[in-house]
Amino acid sequence: MIKKHSVLLKEDKCEGCTNCVKGCPTKAIRVHQGKAWIKEDLCIDCAECIRACEYHAKYTETDELTQIVKSNYPILLIPPSFYSQFSENTSAAKIKKSILDLGFKAVFDVADAAAALSRKTLDFLNNNPGSYISSSCPVIVRLIKLQFPDLIEMLIPLKSPVELMAERLEKKFKEEKDIKPDIFFLTPCPAKLTTVKRAIGQKDSFLSGAIGVENIYKKIYESLDNIKLEQSEDEIITLATIWGSEGGEQSILKSWQDVKTLSVSGVSEVKKLLNEIERNNIAESIKYFELTSCIDGCIGGVLNVINPFQARFNLEQRIKKIKEISQNQKLKLDISDDEYYNFELSDEIIADNLSKLDNDFKKAMQKLEQLQKEIEILPGLDCAACGAPDCKTFAEDVVSGRAVRSDCIFMLRQQLGELADELADLANELPPVMGSKKEETDDS
Amino acid sequence: MKKQQILNKEIESFDFQSGGEASSNLKNILRKLGVSAKIVRKTAIVTYELEMNVVIHSLGGEITALISEDELEIRVDDDGPGIEDLDKAFTAGYSTASDEIREMGFGAGMGLVNVKRHADQIDVESSPGEGTHIKVIIKLAS
Repeated sequence: MIKKHSVLLKEDKCEGCTNCVKGCPTKAIRVHQGKAWIKEDLCIDCAECIRACEYHAKYTETDELTQIVKSNYPILLIPPSFYSQFSENTSAAKIKKSILDLGFKAVFDVADAAAALSRKTLDFLNNNPGSYISSSCPVIVRLIKLQFPDLIEMLIPLKSPVELMAERLEKKFKEEKDIKPDIFFLTPCPAKLTTVKRAIGQKDSFLSGAIGVENIYKKIYESLDNIKLEQSEDEIITLATIWGSEGGEQSILKSWQDVKTLSVSGVSEVKKLLNEIERNNIAESIKYFELTSCIDGCIGGVLNVINPFQARFNLEQRIKKIKEISQNQKLKLDISDDEYYNFELSDEIIADNLSKLDNDFKKAMQKLEQLQKEIEILPGLDCAACGAPDCKTFAEDVVSGRAVRSDCIFMLRQQLGELADELADLANELPPVMGSKKEETDDS
Repeated sequence: MKKQQILNKEIESFDFQSGGEASSNLKNILRKLGVSAKIVRKTAIVTYELEMNVVIHSLGGEITALISEDELEIRVDDDGPGIEDLDKAFTAGYSTASDEIREMGFGAGMGLVNVKRHADQIDVESSPGEGTHIKVIIKLAS
């Protein structure tokens, strides 16, 4: 069976604390029998639990390098954020050569597709009324599907850079070399791995798999000193590499035209923003929202190795260098190359519809009433000792039969108290032969 | 089917901290009841506008939501000071909000206009010196 998400639990490492339960933005985790279980349908792969877990019990299983390089024609796509893992003095050419040496037939920069997507996005925004949300962060797309279904229509119906790149390369290799390549993505996050298995807005992903940055970083880092380049060290990568950090996408759009955009990063902040958008409490003049689940954008991805602060600095320095070398302050807007990309998402993005209590309205009403009563009874301390993140969520679990009231230690204590009182009452009642109720029963 | 109350919340004057809670709560309740995304969005907008009106313009009040299978009814009752000119209140861009409120990003004079745009029915009872009572109906069948 294909898993619906890529964040997994190492059972032996889980201590059963509720840090991840409380930090989960979709309330997808419950602790039962001392272990934190993730509810498949609710997990959006934001990796907040990986960040929250002090015992490193949550992890992501990406593809193994040894397996990948055994495939027929392995090629690797490098995300813009990957360059943040090195100082700007380590040239992109060197980094790419080092990856090739690991056993790949070719490497490509996803940033090239990001540049093309930026041009397409500007064109789309200029030709469509209304406001749009970037569809490039898969966590945000899943968050909207799950919790903000009425905002699905705001998702820009264009593919993410990595899918665009993979689709184009598949075609290119077929046409030019009659080869079907196995395209892998060097991923900074578990969410991109999930989209390989379960694509959104298109039938199947064009990727064969994904490998986490952490899985090959050491090998690359150690090999850099010994790399001899045949071509020039100064190989230029595109300015669109700025896509790797928050605000990168909008900065490219703004370099061409005064587009009203807003960028927000971090899943909890994004949730707050979506809430404001939902109640029309944000200026309608904002045309485009660049939203990323990780703080600082993809450079904040949980599978990266370098800390996000250093990573942001590194990327800024590299962008400065690219500008100096290319003597260009902005990306080219008119490039005929873009016609090779197939930008539009083929399928509609569909709401998950998982919040309703029952399919039948009347039954849902009854459950809602039960739920409100249950919430009133519970202590409201949100202690999470029941294994749910807060009392309201626990109440929902009780109403839907996934938990029982006595899973709450305060309710259990109260029930025990009542039971004890009952026992005491019973103990005080003497059998009739001992004459305790003689006066009452004496009818002679 | 008789309408059942699903929300009742007191709103205090100038309480910008909790302003918006009724809207969020009602939104979550409607999703639990399986109400369609479009209607939930309408409700979120309408409730938020009504709620903020109480926060900004009134001495305090309460918001109540009732539901049946066919429609949602949102009632807002405040303790005054009442609306001077109802026609003007429904005119786009007209606002009695202070500069201070406008600096906070509110008081653009679109409140009731927005409510009317998204609601299927709206009744307002108000006169100066008395409370304002608003009843909004949103049909659930889309």
